Amino acid sequence: MTVIAIALIASTLGAAPAGAPDAAVLLRDSDRARGALPQGVTWTVELTSEEEGTRKAKTMLVKARGVDALAETIAPPRSKGELVLFNDRALWFVKPGLRRPVSISARQRFQGDASNGDIASTNYARDYTGVVAGEDVVGGEPAWRLDLVARASDVTYDKIRYWVAKRSHLAIKAEFLTVGGDLFKTATFEYGNRLRVGGETVDFVSRMVIRDAMGTGSVTTLTFSSPKAETHAPSVFNVNNVVR
Amino acid sequence: MTGGWRIAVRNLSRNRRRNVATGLAIAVGYASLVILGGYSNYAYEGMGALTVYLQRFGHVSIHKPGGLARAAAKPSAYSFTAEEQRAIAGLLAADPRVELAGRYLRAGGLAGNGCKSVPFVATGVEPEVEQRLLVHPRVQAWAPERARPVEGAALSGAAGEEAQAALAVGYAKKLRKHPSAAEPTSGTAPLDCAAGRADGDPWIQLAAIDFDGGFNALDARVTSLYRAVLYEEDKTSLMTDLPTLQRLLATDRVTSFAVYLRDPEDAPAVARDLAGSLERAGIAAELHRFDDPAASPYYTGTLAMTWAIVGFVGILVVIVAAISMLNAMTLTILERTRELATFRSLGFTRRQVTGLFLREATALTALGIAAGLGLGLLVSAAVGAAHVEIEPSGIAGTIPLRLVPTPAVCVGAAIAYFPCSLAATWLAVRRSVGRPVVQLLTAVTA
Repeated sequence: MTVIAIALIASTLGAAPAGAPDAAVLLRDSDRARGALPQGVTWTVELTSEEEGTRKAKTMLVKARGVDALAETIAPPRSKGELVLFNDRALWFVKPGLRRPVSISARQRFQGDASNGDIASTNYARDYTGVVAGEDVVGGEPAWRLDLVARASDVTYDKIRYWVAKRSHLAIKAEFLTVGGDLFKTATFEYGNRLRVGGETVDFVSRMVIRDAMGTGSVTTLTFSSPKAETHAPSVFNVNNVVR
Repeated sequence: MTGGWRIAVRNLSRNRRRNVATGLAIAVGYASLVILGGYSNYAYEGMGALTVYLQRFGHVSIHKPGGLARAAAKPSAYSFTAEEQRAIAGLLAADPRVELAGRYLRAGGLAGNGCKSVPFVATGVEPEVEQRLLVHPRVQAWAPERARPVEGAALSGAAGEEAQAALAVGYAKKLRKHPSAAEPTSGTAPLDCAAGRADGDPWIQLAAIDFDGGFNALDARVTSLYRAVLYEEDKTSLMTDLPTLQRLLATDRVTSFAVYLRDPEDAPAVARDLAGSLERAGIAAELHRFDDPAASPYYTGTLAMTWAIVGFVGILVVIVAAISMLNAMTLTILERTRELATFRSLGFTRRQVTGLFLREATALTALGIAAGLGLGLLVSAAVGAAHVEIEPSGIAGTIPLRLVPTPAVCVGAAIAYFPCSLAATWLAVRRSVGRPVVQLLTAVTA
């Protein structure tokens, strides 16, 4: 299925708008602002969700390095110390006192409409084959519209319609689709954070709002704060070290 | 024995070979009916025991409205509060027709073995109820092998305060976990997942979205392996004690009650009465009987199929036996035309002559049925003694083949046999008896 989808995308490459940049470059640049930094970065993310009139919140400290990430819950108190480890594409859930980590899926619901794969760094350049399918104006910002198809079955979404700002190469909107092409979630992104990496200041995501598109009206907001470049040793992301 | 019956029985010794062949046809046909009836009785009682007691459905089950179909996917939305549980338990305790009631919590989640996770559908059970279910006379009579764990000690019998889980055999195979796995001597050594070595200890990690919407996990010791009833269930099922599953889901709620009755025949009345009581108590609930096709599609579907096959084959068997009787009696009449004429000449009425042949047929059928009964019971006993295992479609693993004909089955088959046999005889005799005596006396027959 993936091969066919890639072939279909390849066959439509000629349809890319004139002057459109390489989709892989757009994805790599937009991933940087969503945590995919090879040097290492740390931030705090607060998830708030409203579902059927109930509001829930959870705060996590996320350490990321390239394709690895470790998200530790720091609030509420009953979940304190719970970890989600992203080891390349393998995900593990660890709870204090648990004998062994539990292998989980990136697609699994984490809280509200946020999937496990939404809470740490984004690596769409690695996980998706993309093509620039058109150009739109999103919230007054001219953007390239990319159609992304998953390269593997264990990534968070099968298909994504992704809008990347022409000027900044930052992702500003996403529509998440089922394998059949049906829309089930949308997301918008804001970049109010700044981060100094290798002597330059880069934009960093400050807010991601995920909305259910199936009619439940639920909204989940991820608020990113205190991003700072830090070097994390690879051992931080070793599942055996995390469990001990 | 009256004269007519004496003559009829004595006549059976004439044309002995033909009568023996006809009697054997009746005997074999009747034996096959006894065997078929024994199988359908076993299917009825066995499937009933599996559905009611070992699938924990009860004779009547109580769910939140919509809960039967949707509770496993979203248990928090279709569950009874602690207060509702107390009210329902009170209603059930007050009903003398109720032998036992169990509370159950069903939910989906993931179980990990340290290397990988596999989705499960878990049932939280009350150990004291389990203990009574597994030794229930109906379970012991019809499915005793399914009540015994395949490995380890049943949840109801395992000791200790740690969380325990019983895994269905097919599910345990995916997780590579066994209750007999050695306990690690110190801590938890890293597993060699690349080599598929996840069976180093008897522990699994149960994980699920709890009723608060958070992701929760806990360790559980695998204490036993059991065979789930259905093949599909066997690949995904596990059981824990109710408090463990409630702890995992951070709730004190349950998704259903199973009501076990002293007499299954009371199920419709109990369901009706309970529905009224629950409504008066202000508890929104839907009730299902174990023989409700929407609630137990496998049970009702299997029984419908079994009845259809048994009914069709039974009818064929009776028809073949009746044709055999028709054939035998037709030949008998042809051979005994002059005897028939003599009876008529001596003043016997048509009715009396027909009665004589019908008595012969009755005697032959009775002898055939007696022989068939012996044969059927012998075959049933032999099959039981041979411990034949069968793999019914849809059932996990094998079950022993047993043929359990009941008196009702035997009498029912005999009742089916006699009218057909006598009707065939009457058809054969009717035309000859109706002919004038002179024609009968001068008739040339083989």
